[in-house]
Amino acid sequence: MTLRTAPTVPVRTRRMVDPVDRTRRIRGRRRRRTADAMIALVWASVAAAMTLWLAYGGLNTVSGLATALTAAGIVTGLVGTDLILVMLVLAARIPAVDRVVGQDTAMAFHRQLGKPALYLILAHGALLTVGYAMADGSNVVTETISLFQGPDMALAYLGLGLLIAVVVTSVVAVRRRFAYEAWHLIHLLSYAAVLVALPHQLSAGGVLADGTVQRVYWIALYVLAFGAIAVFRFAVPALRSARHGIRVAGVEQVAPGVVSIHLAGRDLDRLQTAGGQYAIWRFWTGATWWHAHPISFSAVPTASSARLTVRDLGTGSAAISRVRPGTRVSIEGPYGVFTEAHRVAPKLAVVAAGIGITPIRSMLEHSTLRPGEATVLLRGSDPSQSYLWDEVGALRSMRGNAVFSMMGPRPQGLATWMSVEALAHGVTIGTVFPDLLNSDLYVCGPQSWIDLVIRDARAAGLPEDQIHVERFDW
Amino acid sequence: MRARALALSILSSAAVLTVGWQLGTQGQTPTVPDATATTTTTAPNGGSMSSAAAAPAPTPTAAGSSASATAPASDSASGTFTGTSVQTRFGPVQVQITVANGSITDVTALQLTDKDQRSVSISNRAAPVLRQEVLAAQSANVQGVSGATYTSDGYLSSLQSALDQAGL
Repeated sequence: MTLRTAPTVPVRTRRMVDPVDRTRRIRGRRRRRTADAMIALVWASVAAAMTLWLAYGGLNTVSGLATALTAAGIVTGLVGTDLILVMLVLAARIPAVDRVVGQDTAMAFHRQLGKPALYLILAHGALLTVGYAMADGSNVVTETISLFQGPDMALAYLGLGLLIAVVVTSVVAVRRRFAYEAWHLIHLLSYAAVLVALPHQLSAGGVLADGTVQRVYWIALYVLAFGAIAVFRFAVPALRSARHGIRVAGVEQVAPGVVSIHLAGRDLDRLQTAGGQYAIWRFWTGATWWHAHPISFSAVPTASSARLTVRDLGTGSAAISRVRPGTRVSIEGPYGVFTEAHRVAPKLAVVAAGIGITPIRSMLEHSTLRPGEATVLLRGSDPSQSYLWDEVGALRSMRGNAVFSMMGPRPQGLATWMSVEALAHGVTIGTVFPDLLNSDLYVCGPQSWIDLVIRDARAAGLPEDQIHVERFDW
Repeated sequence: MRARALALSILSSAAVLTVGWQLGTQGQTPTVPDATATTTTTAPNGGSMSSAAAAPAPTPTAAGSSASATAPASDSASGTFTGTSVQTRFGPVQVQITVANGSITDVTALQLTDKDQRSVSISNRAAPVLRQEVLAAQSANVQGVSGATYTSDGYLSSLQSALDQAGL
């Protein structure tokens, strides 16, 4: 609060601050503040789950080991379920979340919460069973049998089983043994797991008893989480797809194994796509409808057309390179924070490799750049990877800005993102981008290559919020 | 940034937990008879903390004062009165009271929540506590047993109907 009045003076005296830079800094600060508030909200919801139990008078029930175990069992159940609901909210692709931190960051957090949430739910079952068994003077087996006969408990055990299946397939099999679609289908069971667990929460426990504020709050949480999923994962994409009536207008081969898919539709500019964003596309042919592809826009959509560029990285993307003109296409999105709006620094440094050129191209197209503001490095291991490079050089925003290319394979057995030749000439990230520390660095390409670029940028002292990465690995 | 997110999280969580803790400690007291509650707190203004801390205690002490205060019931009833059977999620609950000269001398549970083994064990734990509290308070205005919400509610509302029949 006190900060608001103080810092204006030193900022003014330093030098004339460019209004664009100032806006960027303010926006960046606001985003960080919102992100922090979102994190705080997550932890407050965890505290609220505990508070439900405290407000119920939970502390007074504790007298000895059995009741302490029972109490711990109730709290772990509440907190675990709260975390699962938070995970649903994170996966719901809520526009505000995507705008502030980006959907990939939200999903990274989602993945982090998976195991703790499962452990808490497992502890919930175990602690309550042991606690009850001790209180009743019976053993764990008879207690489990008697619990199973309790109200809605069969459903609750079913939910637990589903949850274990979901987390095990996600963590152990991490999309290696399974096709993405199979994994995703199993993942959808988590919705069922959370839903079938609800009846026993409302009927078996005293904390969420009839007519309590706790019960209202808890049901509201469920409505919020499932409502967000229903609206932003299902309703909005369905409406948007119907509204814009997108169809394939043509498929153009731009390099071996790389195609640009031209799309036509109504009012595509109303999607308000920012350059650098992606959408999740579904092509409605017999062979491809079941597979949704996250693909970046390789050009900013006009009112009637949009363009995607894909390389056939997997079986699915090979199939979409063969879609016929006229094929209906549905869209989820646009999403992503790999945009000009997320810049925080006065200068711009860009590195793209291979198919990573696509979001870079549309991001640059959408940017307003002054001469000398941007430096772009395009990287390919051979000339076949130079697709869209000519377009980048011809962009209006690139006038007076440098575009370099670095062609050639990486040296064998050496962890570098540069070519053999560049390395031999003593090129570093610092020589390519002399003003790096005063720049936003945008990187897009294969994941392992990105990691090496980022490593060098961090080593050069570039702060985290000036590093912008588009990951293609999910 | 990170530090601020952490600080915000800690602060907001602490605030939420404090509210819960306050509600929890206060929520257990409101069923104490008014008279005794005021006498314990009319002393120097100790704020909510002291009333919350002092409150759980008065239930037994209330017994002495309110037991002697049964004098006004001169046309006192005697005999046994059976409360209505109250349906709960975990089975019906019904109690019977024995009244002698306008005071409750015994409470018998005719039926308690018994839907499953867990309910039975909760009932077995809660019933003696409830009986003691009722005998001490001589009314249905007692604190329920935590962890036995449904049993307590059923028990006390059946009890109230029995008290109504007895004209107490």
